[in-house]
Amino acid sequence: MSAIAQLSLSLSDSLDGLVRLVRPSLVIVNGHRFGYGAGVVWAAEGLILTNAHVVRRRAPLVRLDDDGEFEARLVERDEEVDLALLEIDARGLPAMRIAQALPRIGEMVFTFGHPWGQRGYVSGGIVSAIPTARTRGRRGSFPVIRSDAPLAPGNSGGPLVNSAGELVGVNAMIVGGDQSISIPATLARDFVQAALAGRPAIHRQDSPMPEKVL
Amino acid sequence: MSKNVLVELSEAMAAAAEQAGKSTVMVNARRRMPASGILVAADSVLTAEHVVEREDGIRVTLADGSEAPARLAGRDPGSDLALLKLEHPAAPPADAAPTPARVGQLVLVLGRPSEAGIEASLGVVSALGGPVRTGRGAMLERYIRTDTISYPGFSGGPLVDATGKVLGVNTSGLARGLPLTIPVDLAWRVAEALAKHGHVKYGYLGVRSQPVEIPAGTQKALKREQAVGLLVVGVEDDSPAATGGLMVGDILVGIAGSTVSDHDGLFRHLGGEMVGKAARIEVLRGGQVKNLDVTVGER
Repeated sequence: MSAIAQLSLSLSDSLDGLVRLVRPSLVIVNGHRFGYGAGVVWAAEGLILTNAHVVRRRAPLVRLDDDGEFEARLVERDEEVDLALLEIDARGLPAMRIAQALPRIGEMVFTFGHPWGQRGYVSGGIVSAIPTARTRGRRGSFPVIRSDAPLAPGNSGGPLVNSAGELVGVNAMIVGGDQSISIPATLARDFVQAALAGRPAIHRQDSPMPEKVL
Repeated sequence: MSKNVLVELSEAMAAAAEQAGKSTVMVNARRRMPASGILVAADSVLTAEHVVEREDGIRVTLADGSEAPARLAGRDPGSDLALLKLEHPAAPPADAAPTPARVGQLVLVLGRPSEAGIEASLGVVSALGGPVRTGRGAMLERYIRTDTISYPGFSGGPLVDATGKVLGVNTSGLARGLPLTIPVDLAWRVAEALAKHGHVKYGYLGVRSQPVEIPAGTQKALKREQAVGLLVVGVEDDSPAATGGLMVGDILVGIAGSTVSDHDGLFRHLGGEMVGKAARIEVLRGGQVKNLDVTVGER
């Protein structure tokens, strides 16, 4: 086989590995009259991260990748950053690996979610820009990730991951029809830490990287 | 973790965006949002002609965030390209890709529509086309179409390959808002002409014509199968065509050794390189073939 054919096959294998790595951490969040969205397993101890606009007061339902369904408790909700932290009575969940820094412009990113009800849909693109969003909240402004990976209703709350399968953002909205906006995972980390302040520290256990596929 | 191909590709794309971003500038020359431009020389920025709405107070923002005043060196509405001159030399200019774009090739479009920095979108080369009449009175020999997203303000920015080398200049001003890319060799050629002359030369004959069928009998005189020619319906006074002896009623069938059967075909033979040169024009007059030597003028 030619080197180029070999290369595109290994690229394809890498993509397959990425999907296998991320999809177990993808959940469906049923926000009742606020519709369906996506979410990610943030920590193995039953912590689920999603968008604030997907969940309101009423306890949302969370369906895991293995189809287990749980009534979730709302831990914290912040409309300024459009994030919500939910807790379900489950342990040993496959948590996402979380990127330590903002991605670079041009880096490849992949979205996972349930656009138009299509469960577990994957799309890809690159980070197009990292503009500053201005808000009326206490933060005033914060960076957001704009990508050219297509989003649609049902992607809300789902993960934006980098080529290593690490969470770089939480998909939040579509602007101008073709600009996908995600909330940086670095911001989500601060949000979760603040939400859990005062609780005994949880030991975040990242799901192990499958050695073969990545 | 050992690196996989996908991670390497991702890093290559980010590096390409960073590399090409250094020579991608913001061009502030219109009232609405700024657009993009490419440093083609240390003191020259190539941008889209349609984004240069004013000639005074043009400002260019470089990759390092510094702002530089610029003046218009020339514009070519036909290809929607304009050249700006910076007062002081800036960052290193962009590199042209050594080989033309290929269908399926992975590409990035870049733009710098705001002070916030470089922006990028990924895709593949979808199609190569041309020649096409641009609707701006010029013939675009070749163009590139991609499935990238052209964000607002991307006109004038580069299409680059996976190493950050420039494949072309993007504009949405040539095809009624549809984004397309002018291949880098054509764009650089226009930039050179603009730097040298301030404008791009187009050949001029001074005839108005319309396509007509050539009767079978007349085709015999032509000694070739050519069903359509251009009927001359008007000759401008003192034009190259008038001086060369073209008359209303002639059917133009060839120029410079090539067959001509439509306006685009004639147009293609009236490029800037023909200006001042003699072109042998083949016409049918009274059923007979006649060759006329016409010195092509400049439009």
